[in-house]
Amino acid sequence: MENVLKEGLLAIEACQNLGDLQNVRNEYLSKKGLVTQLMGKMKDLPAEDKPAYGAQVNQIKQSLEAAFKLKEEALQEAAFDVQLQKGKIDLSLPSAMPLVGTLHPLTIVQTEIEQFFMGMGYLVKEGPEVELDYYNFERANIPQDHPARDMQDTFYINAEWLLRTHTTAIQTRTLEAYKGEIPVKVICPGKVFRKDDDDATHSHQFVQIEGLVVGDKISLADLKGTLELLARHLFGEARVIRFRPSYFQFTEPSVEVDVSCHICNGKGCPTCKQSGWIEILGAGMVHPNVLRMAGFDPEKVSGFAFGLGVERVALLKYGIDDIRHLYTNDLRFLNNFRRFE
Amino acid sequence: MKVSMQWLGRYVDLTNIKAEDLADKLTLAGLEVEGVDPIAQGTNLVIGEVVFCEAHPESDHLSITKVNVGDEVLDIVCGAPNVAKGQKVIVAKVGAVLPEITIKASNIKGQASNGMICSLLEIGINPKALSEDQKNGIEVLDPRLEVGQEALSTLGLDDVILDIKQTPNRSDFNALWSVAYEVGALFNREVNLPWQKDFALKGSKSDLIIASETPKCPLIYGKKIGRVTIKPSPEWMRRDLEAVGMKSINNVVDISNYVMLETGQPLHFYDGAKLPKMEIIVKDGLSESITTLDGSELPLDSSDIVITSNNQAIGLAGIMGGEDSKIDESTQSIVIEAAQFSPSQIRHTSRRVNLLTEASQRFVKGLDPQSILKALDRATELLVEYADAQMIEETINSGEVSKDLHKVSVHLQHINDLLGTEVSLASALDIFSRLHFSPVEKEGCIECTIPSYRLDISVAEDLIEEVGRFIGYADLKGSLPVMPTTQGSYDARQAMRQRLRQLSVGFGMNEVITYSLVHEDKTKMGVYPLDNPASLLSPLSEERRFIRNNLLASMLETAAYNQAHKIKDFGIFEVSNLNTIAINQERYAFILSGQYERSIWQKQVLPYDYYAAKGIVERLLSELGVNLSRVRFDSNEGSTFFHPLRSAIVKIDNKVFGVIGEIHPKLAKAQDLSTVVMGELIIEQLLSLKLAKVRFSPVNKMPAVVRDIALVVDEAVMVSEIEKVIKAVSKDRIQSVQIFDVYQGDKVEAGKKSIALKIVYQANDHTLSEEEITQLYNNTIEACKKGLNAQLRIA
Repeated sequence: MENVLKEGLLAIEACQNLGDLQNVRNEYLSKKGLVTQLMGKMKDLPAEDKPAYGAQVNQIKQSLEAAFKLKEEALQEAAFDVQLQKGKIDLSLPSAMPLVGTLHPLTIVQTEIEQFFMGMGYLVKEGPEVELDYYNFERANIPQDHPARDMQDTFYINAEWLLRTHTTAIQTRTLEAYKGEIPVKVICPGKVFRKDDDDATHSHQFVQIEGLVVGDKISLADLKGTLELLARHLFGEARVIRFRPSYFQFTEPSVEVDVSCHICNGKGCPTCKQSGWIEILGAGMVHPNVLRMAGFDPEKVSGFAFGLGVERVALLKYGIDDIRHLYTNDLRFLNNFRRFE
Repeated sequence: MKVSMQWLGRYVDLTNIKAEDLADKLTLAGLEVEGVDPIAQGTNLVIGEVVFCEAHPESDHLSITKVNVGDEVLDIVCGAPNVAKGQKVIVAKVGAVLPEITIKASNIKGQASNGMICSLLEIGINPKALSEDQKNGIEVLDPRLEVGQEALSTLGLDDVILDIKQTPNRSDFNALWSVAYEVGALFNREVNLPWQKDFALKGSKSDLIIASETPKCPLIYGKKIGRVTIKPSPEWMRRDLEAVGMKSINNVVDISNYVMLETGQPLHFYDGAKLPKMEIIVKDGLSESITTLDGSELPLDSSDIVITSNNQAIGLAGIMGGEDSKIDESTQSIVIEAAQFSPSQIRHTSRRVNLLTEASQRFVKGLDPQSILKALDRATELLVEYADAQMIEETINSGEVSKDLHKVSVHLQHINDLLGTEVSLASALDIFSRLHFSPVEKEGCIECTIPSYRLDISVAEDLIEEVGRFIGYADLKGSLPVMPTTQGSYDARQAMRQRLRQLSVGFGMNEVITYSLVHEDKTKMGVYPLDNPASLLSPLSEERRFIRNNLLASMLETAAYNQAHKIKDFGIFEVSNLNTIAINQERYAFILSGQYERSIWQKQVLPYDYYAAKGIVERLLSELGVNLSRVRFDSNEGSTFFHPLRSAIVKIDNKVFGVIGEIHPKLAKAQDLSTVVMGELIIEQLLSLKLAKVRFSPVNKMPAVVRDIALVVDEAVMVSEIEKVIKAVSKDRIQSVQIFDVYQGDKVEAGKKSIALKIVYQANDHTLSEEEITQLYNNTIEACKKGLNAQLRIA
């Protein structure tokens, strides 16, 4: 009887698969199995020995059943592992990556600037590209016979209509629409056109963004503070700006705004032509004539305005060497602009 | 303009001011200095004398020389063809650093060489100012020069030229005297101009007639000088002129140029003997031609201002004098003309004849109204001094120079409010005084008398700018506007544009921005081109004459460019407005080329065909809030831009919204394109449409039953009709009809096609019973047989 248990356990242990295990189970535990036969021998025993014998056979049966269960689980686990192994794939095969396109670099820069100013409470105002001479020049304090109005520089359609040469045209329209009400706090992005031959740094079409704030006691210092934030937003926290007096018809006083070079941190490099500074904006205090023509009283309100070229910012930010790349739309170029800020 | 430091130093003391510091200060005061260029460069340069010179025995072009440089005699091998014994020369000693090379002791073909004899080119003089001989050979100096002296300063070659970018308002910087005033004010140094006021006032009685017959010449002054001697200019004058790039001709011509550069007033000197008559009359309305000083014959336009004498044109006013009356070696008497001409007329004439002269540029930018007098005084004085001028006649004029100076006032408070500063009254007054504005203060209001040359000062803000410039903006502390809080946001149009861009990028397309100016041909094709495209009066080229009236025509170029560069599979899109006079319309267009390759080895590749384009439109519209039941794709037969049978007119609420489809094969060929699909949508219309809002609807928890059926129908039956017929069977029990196969081929009759559909039956209030489902299914089959003449296909 001892041998039945010992051999049974050995037989279970020796099983390699679930089929073998079933055979062994049949051999021991089926109706004609060895354990059943042992139990059958009980009837031949004296009554007083029967309980002990029965308990012993039961013990053997339970031990074997427990062993069967363990072995079964182990074999199942092993069989599962084998199945799993069969499911191995080549992890290095290329993925089924969803296609994602790119925004145009000019859109990226323009949106970035728009959102910066929207965060400060500016509205985004637009206007027609085919514009009246009146809004493009007259209202911008550029009188008849000013050189800027020559056919040489401006795309005229007829005596009255032209392709706007700057987004100042949006500012003059916006000022008029406010009818003397303050505050005015807007940025004006849009395509503009000038009669320049296209080369590495010139484009007959480009995107400008101008900003305009008119209110009570708006000062040049407010302009500087605003543009300092913009410069840092576009070119990094370490940037400082510098105002240089300049001249624009639309503003008085007028300034050119330089940003410390983001490539060399102001030490001097080819990008900033060794000067440490990069000219990036024109700005100033809105000219009293402009305010007056639009129905504001320059004795009571003042304002600042600034303008920048989106292409120039894109060229500087991304290190693009030729403005024409932006309008060629070579997909190998466009696919560079994948990370949005 | 170019400013010579040496010349400027004649009027304002520049001691201890380095060129770089001057440049920085000017730049930060608004006069951007774009270049600081020494006219010559080199260290260790001295004057030497060639005391020995013989041909090099080992060379056919070198010479062996001995050069006395004062404290020693150097052996130098020289390659210049013109070197000779006895010459005074510029010697670069060992260790000298020149623009191109550093001089070292060396041995040239067996001969020691301890230095170099220099040409002017080698010490960095602008080659434009040099003759061929000067460029090819060493510079032979004045024999009177002393050996051993430092060469650059001795030769007056230590000058530095500042290249100043002038802003259009500061026309006064066309006069060196005004630059001197500015520098004097910036550095708080005294300015001494060699201007002897009223020097030209006196003179003997004159028979010269001066007149202007055109309002374009409000002022003209003339003066006859009966005797002058033509000879070379004094050395200093020649050097000053050459330093700023002006050729020295003779003393008289040089004086006219010198005075123009000093005062900004162009002068014209006529040879008195060559004037047809002792008169100078300014006219316009002439239409002959004139031969100018440079020998070219220019036809006149009737608007041109012309200087005449005895009815003959002798000069194109403000631009160039005539050949016939020019000063030359034989000139003995001269007539000086100083005038003011209409800047815009000079600009137009100068542009038309394509002549941009020193004089014309000054007239165009505007002159100090008093510069006529300054220039006459100065020129007369110089002519007396350097051209032995005698028989000086009185000045004759037409029109009178106004000597009135205008006044502009500003409040100190206004200055500080506008700049955001705390400038004191004292410093404001100091700045205005340094600028010679003679400020007078009364209760915080400062009244300035503006010098005649400051044409740019006319309102208080101009004075405020002067204060800003002088205190400098470096210390201006930035602040932010203090005002009521406003909300920043995009308007509906801008928000829609942004959404379209984001969605399109998500569909795998790249955004492009193409030029708005196109060739006329492109305005005649494309999707619903706007009527009356605007054209430019004077375009850069025919390629860019028209303002585009549709997007796809110009985007095809971009597609062709990329295909030509072997980029086969792509999607591009553009969002832009279209403009004609008074019309501004927002559009969206896209082009798909090749296929959408998600994973090639897994066969996850979608052809870019009509259905891809249709999918983009449907997804865009549903995302933007247009329920697709409002959208129709109608036949576009007859199109010459699109494939007539593989394109559709997109309509929303039965209104045309755009066109999508495959390009017409003929157009593709003409544009060098392989087949693309494309679409253009008039998204402007979305702005006025009622768009769906986001709204919750409860999830239907009743079980759904799916039945597949396959129908055989006539080829011509459109799938949309089948869907319509099936959906009509029950409005609230049929949840969806999905097409999952379309088959045409051997297994169906010719002229027929098989469509397999998945139909989902579901009620929203109870579980459909077996009988209900059977009934619905049978009704569906019945409707298809009846409405579409369909047969049930047996698999």
